[in-house]
Amino acid sequence: MSKAHDVLVDPLFNTNPIALQVLGICSALAVTTRMQTAVVMAVAVIFVTGSSNFFVSLLRNRIPSNVRIIVQLTVIASLVIVVDQVLKAYLFDVSRQLSVFVGLIITNCIVMGRAEAFAMQNPPGLSFLDGVGNGFGYGLILLGVGAFREVLGAGSFFGWPVLALVADGGWYTPNGLMVLAPGAFFLIGLFIWALRTWKPSQVEAPEA
Amino acid sequence: MSASRSGARYTLLFSAIVCVVCAVLVSSAAVVLRDRQDSNSELDRRRNVLRAAGVLGEDETVSAEEVERRFASFTAVAVDLRTGEEDPSFDVSGYDARRAVASPDLSRAVEPNPAQVTRVAHHAVVYKQLDADGRLSLLVLPIEGKGLWSTMYGFLALGADLNTVRGLTFYQHGETPGLGGEVDSARWKALWPGREVFDDEGDVAIQVIRGSAGPPEQDPHRVDGLSGATLTSRGVSAMLRFWLGPQGFGPYLDQLRKEVRGEQGA
Amino acid sequence: MLRRLLDGVAPRFHKGGSLERFYPLYEAVDTFLYTPGMVTEGPSHVRDAIDLKRIMSLVVVSLLGTVAMAIYNTGLQAHRAIEAGAAPRDTWQTQAMEWLGLSFASGDLVACLVHGALYFVPVLLTTYTVGGLWEGLFAQVRRHELNEGFLVTGLLIPLTLPAGIPLWQVALGTSFGVVIGKEIFGGTGMNILNPALTARAFLFFAYPAEMSGNIWVAAGVADGVTGATLLAGASEQGMAALADVSWWDAFLGFVPGSMGETSALACLLGAVLLVVTGIGSWRVMLGVAIGTVAAAALLNGVGSVTNPYFAVPFWWHMVLGGWAFGTVYMATDPVTAAQTDTGRWVFGALVGVLTVLIRVINPAYPEGMMLAILFMNVFAPTIDFFVVRANVERRRRRVSLP
Repeated sequence: MSKAHDVLVDPLFNTNPIALQVLGICSALAVTTRMQTAVVMAVAVIFVTGSSNFFVSLLRNRIPSNVRIIVQLTVIASLVIVVDQVLKAYLFDVSRQLSVFVGLIITNCIVMGRAEAFAMQNPPGLSFLDGVGNGFGYGLILLGVGAFREVLGAGSFFGWPVLALVADGGWYTPNGLMVLAPGAFFLIGLFIWALRTWKPSQVEAPEA
Repeated sequence: MSASRSGARYTLLFSAIVCVVCAVLVSSAAVVLRDRQDSNSELDRRRNVLRAAGVLGEDETVSAEEVERRFASFTAVAVDLRTGEEDPSFDVSGYDARRAVASPDLSRAVEPNPAQVTRVAHHAVVYKQLDADGRLSLLVLPIEGKGLWSTMYGFLALGADLNTVRGLTFYQHGETPGLGGEVDSARWKALWPGREVFDDEGDVAIQVIRGSAGPPEQDPHRVDGLSGATLTSRGVSAMLRFWLGPQGFGPYLDQLRKEVRGEQGA
Repeated sequence: MLRRLLDGVAPRFHKGGSLERFYPLYEAVDTFLYTPGMVTEGPSHVRDAIDLKRIMSLVVVSLLGTVAMAIYNTGLQAHRAIEAGAAPRDTWQTQAMEWLGLSFASGDLVACLVHGALYFVPVLLTTYTVGGLWEGLFAQVRRHELNEGFLVTGLLIPLTLPAGIPLWQVALGTSFGVVIGKEIFGGTGMNILNPALTARAFLFFAYPAEMSGNIWVAAGVADGVTGATLLAGASEQGMAALADVSWWDAFLGFVPGSMGETSALACLLGAVLLVVTGIGSWRVMLGVAIGTVAAAALLNGVGSVTNPYFAVPFWWHMVLGGWAFGTVYMATDPVTAAQTDTGRWVFGALVGVLTVLIRVINPAYPEGMMLAILFMNVFAPTIDFFVVRANVERRRRRVSLP
């Protein structure tokens, strides 16, 4: 019970895949200009990490070790394609905005990393929770970054106007940096700064 | 570990099974969802056509049925850009000119031009709206061209005189947000209706200028530039010039004008 | 008197005193006014009258010419636009001018200076206030002494900004420059990016519409006067845009642009002072010049049909935009430039080459100086690393010779 709790909750702050392991940055920069895309992307990644961990773990005692990476990739790739197809069918607008980044979940180091590092050694139930936990850890940062970028960059939240823009006669001038990818980069950096101030154990020892 | 699990036969067998299972999964998902995806992208295309035509508001979101209803007065027509003639035998459903450009059989290279269009598909799908008497009242043309960073894709809607702009819309581009990205802002698009694309000699005259232009009645051939985005503005001018010119829809527009005149004469 | 006052309150700030927490503030005031009480005495130390504070003061002195030009030219450009038919801006500055009974004539030296100061001083006060607050906050939290790096940074920032910039943007940009550009890395001396340029870059990318277009001249737009900088003109039309401007005007600085960057002459004078006193590295400055000449000559030679900017020769590049200002005051920043002598040559030359390349080839950013310096700031440690390693290798070879 406590282990299950740990694998699910630890990735949120203690071993956050983006903030501590600095994995999956590329999509975090690309899909966080709007909350809507960030949420959909987070859900897609949670689904893929959870189920790929589950299936890889199911097969873990049968996979020949010399082809294990290829098998993991096949499982992950199939899941990602299914997710992509479903999004295209049911959430067309969002899937067009996400463009290639859904497909690129295949190359997201978090998915592959958890499959290789965790699911190959642990039972399916626990692996599933670990995958979901890491997906949530990723999603949490995505939502945080997305919230700042959409509010500051476009004056809206989930598409609803929250700050009255100058262009519409209001007072708020949108911050263009937030809409560009470097804006997300700075935000992630600031998140890491805040997280490490809160949990100093995450700070690496200085190199000798 | 047993010997069989690391043996070549086991490995091959295992890989084969995984492949088959995954392939079945992926292809069944693709097959099952196919129709829905196609109807989605068709719906999206229709939405954009309606936006350009001004039948659908910029921020208006309407149901699929409503789009169908408003689109009912439009007909998709294939135009052979080599001759400028309509090609009724051409099947427009599922045709994607942007994909056709990649194929040498379906497209041709064009001379270097400021819009930086390199290849043009033989066929383009345009949308015609006919009034109660069966006369053309609105024509929506697909256009594309380079801006600063990206190729911008959009639709241009012309009125019955094939000269007055009824609307312009861009549905895909990668221009700088806040500067060139304003090409898809409602405020900028609202400047277009009422402008005239051709001058009295029949040459393409419409252009996006630096600074501000007057209202359409006084200043029909010029449109305000996007502030801080000279190259995107120039791209819009260049793409209109290209698509309304001889390598684009020019011959087709001539053809239509002749038909209109013919009808009036009769 | 002042000394006695400071000494009188000193015990309260030292360890155990009631105001111990505020020692950094006390220390700052004290050493700003007087040379530090603790100076090196033992023979093993190098004794030099110069410390960080004296360096900073000298840099400020070297900037005075640029500041004077910034104030005068801001007024001059506004008055020229007004004479060409533009309406004065509807701002308190214009009201103040009318209240003072000053004219909007471009020939009126006093009026130009006052009008320019009305725009420049508020921006300067904003940077110092906001930057000072951040510096003070971090000094308190980290328990270190306030240092004077910001004295220079805070003066550089307004000089890189256009006259018409809203003050809240100045405040935001300064905050970003100080916090992200410097404090995050541990404060003065630890930063990898030039804080003043970081602030400028932030504003450039965050508010592109406000940082381009009609803000360079502190007046409305007149018909036929674009209010754009020469740089923007050159990027579109090449030499044709520079045809009606004399090179001397651009060199002296009587052209539109960011407040402090227009006068290459003022920067040149500042450069002389910096080089003579040994504060600014002449290797970096010369390196930038060489890089610019080489890259511009290369592009002149290559030529381009579609991009007229290719044909702009190096002597124009050097008076356009922020080239002179960046070369003298930004690229030479001792913290963020390369630290080794050979490294400085390489660093400078690459800044020069990149500036021309970004200006000419990138369609979106007519000004390449800022981006080139920031980019090379990031690479400066790498350059030093290779220089040091080459040196180590050379010595090792010398030792192992038979």
